[in-house]
Amino acid sequence: MSKRYQHQQGLIAQFISENRGPLLVTPALAVLVLMNIFPLLWSFGLSFFKYRANRLNEPEFVWFKNYIKILNDPNVWDRFQTTALVVSIDVLLQLIVGFLLALLFQSQFPGRRVLLMLVLTPMMLSFVAVGAFFRYYYEPTFGLLSQAVKAITGERYILLATPEGALAGVIFADVWMWSPFVMLLVLAGLVSVPKHLYEAAEIDRTSAWRRFWTITFPYIRGLLLLAILFRTIEAFKLFDLAWIITEGGPGTSTETIAIYVYRVAFQYFKTSESAALGYILLFAVIVLTNLYLFFVRKRAAEEDA
Amino acid sequence: MKLFKKGKLALLAGAMAMAVSGAFGNFASAADVTINMAVPDWPPTRIMQDLANKHYKPPSGNNVTIALDFIPWPNYYEKLAASLTSGEEKYQMAVSDSQWLGAFIEGGYYMKLNKFIDADPELQAIFKDLHPNLVASYSTYPHKTDNYYGFPQMPDVLVTYYRSDLFCDAGEQSAFKAKYGYKLACTPQEMNDTDWDQVRDFGEFFRRASGDSLAGQTLNDDFYGIAYQAGIGYDFNTMQINGFIWQHGAGIWDETKAPNGQALGVVNSPKAVMAFEHYLSLLQFMPPVVKTGTMDIFKTDELFREGKVAWNIQWIGFGESAISTETSKVASGTDFAMMPGMRNDDGSITRWSNIGGQPFILTTWNSDLVTQESIDFVKWWLSTGTQHMFAAAGGQSGLQSVFNSEEYLTYRPWNHAFGPQLDWQKDVWHIPEFFELLVQQQQTFDKAITGQISAQEALDSIAAFQDELLREAGHIE
Repeated sequence: MSKRYQHQQGLIAQFISENRGPLLVTPALAVLVLMNIFPLLWSFGLSFFKYRANRLNEPEFVWFKNYIKILNDPNVWDRFQTTALVVSIDVLLQLIVGFLLALLFQSQFPGRRVLLMLVLTPMMLSFVAVGAFFRYYYEPTFGLLSQAVKAITGERYILLATPEGALAGVIFADVWMWSPFVMLLVLAGLVSVPKHLYEAAEIDRTSAWRRFWTITFPYIRGLLLLAILFRTIEAFKLFDLAWIITEGGPGTSTETIAIYVYRVAFQYFKTSESAALGYILLFAVIVLTNLYLFFVRKRAAEEDA
Repeated sequence: MKLFKKGKLALLAGAMAMAVSGAFGNFASAADVTINMAVPDWPPTRIMQDLANKHYKPPSGNNVTIALDFIPWPNYYEKLAASLTSGEEKYQMAVSDSQWLGAFIEGGYYMKLNKFIDADPELQAIFKDLHPNLVASYSTYPHKTDNYYGFPQMPDVLVTYYRSDLFCDAGEQSAFKAKYGYKLACTPQEMNDTDWDQVRDFGEFFRRASGDSLAGQTLNDDFYGIAYQAGIGYDFNTMQINGFIWQHGAGIWDETKAPNGQALGVVNSPKAVMAFEHYLSLLQFMPPVVKTGTMDIFKTDELFREGKVAWNIQWIGFGESAISTETSKVASGTDFAMMPGMRNDDGSITRWSNIGGQPFILTTWNSDLVTQESIDFVKWWLSTGTQHMFAAAGGQSGLQSVFNSEEYLTYRPWNHAFGPQLDWQKDVWHIPEFFELLVQQQQTFDKAITGQISAQEALDSIAAFQDELLREAGHIE
């Protein structure tokens, strides 16, 4: 082994030992850049061009034309309204159901573990399975819901026949699937409340509402905000369930903005327009996230004070 | 003797040399070729794979593998489009809906076939033998020009599936006659002579509630008279509505008249509105799922096979599952006829319908060798012998010499309806903007199907949208 070779080996070993940290994260960073950052930047650049992936025409730089077109497209605003409606009702219901479930599972009772496992099952299922299940569940000829209603009223029940019913059907499926997630977060908050606070409150004979508001709620507030953030972002991107249960119908009444992005990108092949729409969607999600951070910081400031 | 021995040895050596050189010659020239073909996953393509595995021997002597990539129908377009546009060049051939021709030809993915057809008398003979409606719909772009891009893989048309056990039941026959004053169609010949007014009567007559009697049996669930596609997905209402529109003498936007053909005033003409109202008027006799706008071809197929409807309009491609006892509760009591139409004053029936089925295409990145092997495969597929085997296994043939033959009628119970129905086929648009036109139309038709807007409002909205889109794309001036 030559001295030169030994010297080189020594340098390599020294470099590795001095840069162990950066070297360890380099593969992860490379994957992140390759799979996330680069496509993100590429699609952002693409959003300023006129380009369709299924045409031979060269991309043409059009500045903000795609963004202007999208923001003036009544279809986009219509789908945003549908999405906003879905998000508001969906997340509110998930919070209520999740919270009530957490209160139920806070206490110990026989069969709690089995029941808890069953309640958590929906969020472990795939979207396609849940979508297909609810499509058949609501189906008026064979479906369980329609058969059950018919047994009582004598008439078949066609939930998905109206825009309101279809929205309710999609929202119910999403609430069924994701309320357990909210429950988990709230439950984590509830079990962290020190028992002695409740005991003290009981000695003081405080009402149940006051106990909840002054003891329980402060402990779960942060987690509730986190649940709101996660579920709002997810509900904002709602695609699978609506697509499988109603295919966006009747008409366009359950066509969320995520479905519309999909249509623009992969059915109409307006590649650059869909990229611009994707960034508008991303912007909306960032605004929501910042609203959350604003409330969290406000809470932290209040606690510090 | 020695001479003879020497001669024998020389002969043997010569023969061995020839054999060896022949063997090595073949070995050297036989190339391994794999033709990856994207296909929708359904019986006609499964049959094709089976026949190719068993019977296809490439005339070139090359080792050709026909590898079919079976993709489920509901996301077939997206998967094929994603593959073509991504540049992965995965497929050498594909089964394509005819409506996608424009989008993928303009994208540079589908190969133009004229030079191969011009140079090959065998291909010319095939094209001459194909039904002209199939050539126009499956091969040409721009539509009905002499630019050829596709060969029929599986031609398909909408036909009537009906419960002959109910329609031919003596009790139902007499009850129908007493109520409507004419004989209830029973045989396929009688069902062929059916117009939409009769279909309305079928719908009303066969609607029974749980507990009612049907062909002497007491029903334990509701039963419905008729069904046809009325789903919001893909083209699952357009394909049926277009038939009504053409049968009423109205039209859709005509791409062959571009740039002078108009959408406004054509798409929403009074006749078109009447046609759409006619389509909507029959929905009341269908299973309740129709009110949700999700009654697509898969749902009508399921309803028919589950024994929930007496009469259904469906693509022939679903026929096998309807007559198989493994998949259908009504297999033994099902028969087939042509799709109904509008009765004319002379008693004849106008039966325009939207063509189904698919051509297969070659992709532009193929090498000369792969292209030649693909064309050889197409020629084998469209040869009379293979087409008879395909039809005998449940497929359809677009070759007039095959579907007009006596034996063709014996293969399947729907085959008698196929040939005559082919004469009444038109196709929807083939332009690259096809999907935008289709999605807006599907959603707007769906609003009318689910009772949110009227037929007039729906067609006005579609006409306005098409006018704007087609002007922007330069198809209307």
